[in-house]
Amino acid sequence: MPLVGTRSLSTLASAAPVVPSLQVDRWELPNARILQLMYEIDATAMQSLIPPALHPTIPPTLVFTVTSFPESPVGAFVLGEVRVGARSGARPRGLLLQAYVSTPEAARELANRWGYPVEVGECRLEKRYDRIHASVIHGSREILTMTLLNPEPISGNDVQYLASLNLARITRDGTEQLRLIQVDPDYTFKAADRGQPQIEAFDAAAWRLDGAELNHPVSASCCVADIMMPELRYLVDPDKPPLAAVERL
Amino acid sequence: MKFGIFYEISVPRPWEADTEYKVYQNCLEQVRLADELGFDQVWAVEHHFLEEYSHCSAPEIFLTACAMQTKNIRIGRGIVVCVPQFNNPIKAAEVAATMDLVSGGRLEFGTGRSATWTELGGFGADPDETKKTWDEWTRIIPKMWTQERFSYEGRAFSMPQRTILPKPYQKPHPPMWVAVTSPGTELDAADRGMGSLGLTFGGFAEQEKKIAEYRRRIKYCDPVGSFVNEQVNTVNFLFCNEDNMYGARTGQRLAGTFNYLAEQLLAARQAYPTRSYPNLGLLPALRREATSSPEGQIPEGLCIGNPDRIIEVIKKWEAVGVDRINFLLNAVETVPQEEVLASMRLFAKEVMPHFAQKGELAAVGGGN
Repeated sequence: MPLVGTRSLSTLASAAPVVPSLQVDRWELPNARILQLMYEIDATAMQSLIPPALHPTIPPTLVFTVTSFPESPVGAFVLGEVRVGARSGARPRGLLLQAYVSTPEAARELANRWGYPVEVGECRLEKRYDRIHASVIHGSREILTMTLLNPEPISGNDVQYLASLNLARITRDGTEQLRLIQVDPDYTFKAADRGQPQIEAFDAAAWRLDGAELNHPVSASCCVADIMMPELRYLVDPDKPPLAAVERL
Repeated sequence: MKFGIFYEISVPRPWEADTEYKVYQNCLEQVRLADELGFDQVWAVEHHFLEEYSHCSAPEIFLTACAMQTKNIRIGRGIVVCVPQFNNPIKAAEVAATMDLVSGGRLEFGTGRSATWTELGGFGADPDETKKTWDEWTRIIPKMWTQERFSYEGRAFSMPQRTILPKPYQKPHPPMWVAVTSPGTELDAADRGMGSLGLTFGGFAEQEKKIAEYRRRIKYCDPVGSFVNEQVNTVNFLFCNEDNMYGARTGQRLAGTFNYLAEQLLAARQAYPTRSYPNLGLLPALRREATSSPEGQIPEGLCIGNPDRIIEVIKKWEAVGVDRINFLLNAVETVPQEEVLASMRLFAKEVMPHFAQKGELAAVGGGN
């Protein structure tokens, strides 16, 4: 059977947010601009980046996303994520262990509602005619700089986004449990471009992905879409085997 | 209705020194038995880098071995990847002609373009280009076989005048097929006068619609080859056992394992935004649909269970217009080899006679 992850996420538990309730309202986030790049990574790390509940993809990948939200219940913000491409059983998912967001209000709500393991950082997304560029700075360090070069229009229907599995803590029966929270927003596309992917800076440790080495660019896209942040429907117990790990809420 | 067997050649981890050897030998043993039992064809895929799911990167070699160990069964390249980073059209025509010669005219020639980033990225192929190069190649390869001297000035391929040798044993050339995974490709097959080599398992209703449209369109086709190959070939799982529940359970395990492995791969569309791959190709949707069923029920279209149930299923496939069914017999050796062979024997004894060709029935019955 397919390979599974070998990583214990318990060492990251203290940094994972506590989600006080699994009943959350949907959020409508209009006109979000999403820059997403995919890179293949060296296969030596593919099992050590993910927990036993997940299979690595063949080949293993990282998905880099910086999204600018011009409107939200907590005002405008920019979110940076680096996720590991994986399979939860047979389903494609992106494992998120660390994210950065531009405002403390957004950090609080994303963590409380959808379990984003997020800290405040300086996140930027800039669209030009010749490139679309994003960066994430934490402290004084540039931990991600990425660019889509030579954008060309495509249909939003040609773009696929992974559902996220966010590392968080929940409380059940009075005990705290570490879980991956599935976040699968709906997208209504308004515009889309693709181009050549280029990553100028990536600090793997800052995204809790020590050992991830980029070795091959795959794709880059940038879309404008209305995003509907979802209600929570599924959790994954990271320590269980893939076919036993998914819990329906 | 004709029956065949279909190989992805999936190899389970852990990969020990002789794991691949054993799987290949098991496959060859099944092919020899299939030939003895009267199966009509054996197909093998061309896949690269698809860990566990398919270790069949040189199907022309495997199929030549099949031909050398059998007498009657036809050998199907399912498919030649018509993408220049994977293959060269001259070489593809030459290899196919050689296979046809050494097999005594038993080659079926399938064409396609690959559907995974795992493979396309590995070869550095441009996903936007694959449909275009496939279209160009399917038009020139039959001319390479039939024209004494061939030259070509094309978009993605050109060559000065040469004599491409050898020529196929079958005249004018082997039957040509298109691998159909993306919706709409069956229409591409029809428009070009090629057989539809279905690689997904969709249920009866969905397939019936597609087949009807294929039949309608192919009447007006402009064939790329020297003749129209109007045939619909589908893939299914086979596990036949006297005990219906055991057969169904084992067959569902086989189908589930196969599908689970397929989902681990990175489909072209999941990695690279392109109009060229409007869906997940060989991967999940149709397979999931065909192999899922209400709790406790056997998925409607699968050839698993006892002979009576399988006969009933195949009659439905026949009624919706399918000409051939190719069976996947195993996945990562989930089913022990002896049980696979027993399943094939029981199928040949109890099921095949219900679908014999008219001539064969007359021969069995002594004729009138």
